[in-house]
Amino acid sequence: MAAAALREQLNALLSSMFSQGLVDEQFQQLQMLQDEGGTPGFVAEVVTLFCDDAERIIAEIATLLEQPIVNFDKVDAYVHQLKGSSASVGAQKVKFTCMQFRQLCQEKSRDGCLMALAVVRNDFYDLRNKFQTMLQLEQQILAYDPKQQ
Amino acid sequence: MARKMIRVLLVEDEEIHRVMARAAVKAAAGAEDDDVLDVAENGAAAVRRVREVAPYDLILMDRQMPVMDGHEATRRIRAMGVTTPIVAVSSDGLPADVEAFIGAGADHFTPKVSQATRQCRPCDACMRHGQQYMIDLCK
Repeated sequence: MAAAALREQLNALLSSMFSQGLVDEQFQQLQMLQDEGGTPGFVAEVVTLFCDDAERIIAEIATLLEQPIVNFDKVDAYVHQLKGSSASVGAQKVKFTCMQFRQLCQEKSRDGCLMALAVVRNDFYDLRNKFQTMLQLEQQILAYDPKQQ
Repeated sequence: MARKMIRVLLVEDEEIHRVMARAAVKAAAGAEDDDVLDVAENGAAAVRRVREVAPYDLILMDRQMPVMDGHEATRRIRAMGVTTPIVAVSSDGLPADVEAFIGAGADHFTPKVSQATRQCRPCDACMRHGQQYMIDLCK
């Protein structure tokens, strides 16, 4: 019964992530790849890679924006990279924020880029927290042994 | 008759995309243990592998990479006389990008963002093109 409650929690979390626009259909495709490809742990691996990459990229962008003279081409390249990986993982909200961020890079607006960075950081941390909860629930479900009832 | 082993070269600098492409190609074509999915992390490494390793059946090529980008790598591979199908898989789907890749010698271009659905389908891209080529190669 505990496993069922955990699964209900997980389904509710995933449902809210979709309804809030945090993730899109691409995230569902990851789960399909895991299920149909017989590759357990695939979603966890990809999500973890995305979170590690995003954290690193956001830090790099922050450093670039602190420079006296901002290299907007480099900032744009990092944002492009973050957009690509967020799109691949189905991180819809982060992806859309990156698209707007790139526009500000084209305009070479430091203030605009700083605001966009704050939004991207916020969106990413929100998503990361939910991904971490998702992975924890999945681990708990896997570890639960019905024979212990 | 035994199924032919398939060799695919994935040229991609970002690990997350390599992991996803590997899973997508495996799922799409029912890749078997004997099939080979080699990886090159930039265009220069790809050119080296094509030159030094046994012929590939398919090359999946990203665009934006350090050291050497996908356009230049494609151009150099074709200049070597290699006729292996090259599928460009890139997040930049602008006409200029497509034209540049095809002009460099790629056979197909697949954007990572579908214009119709505005959703990212790198897995679909690899599955669609990888599957078509790999199914043909298995005949």
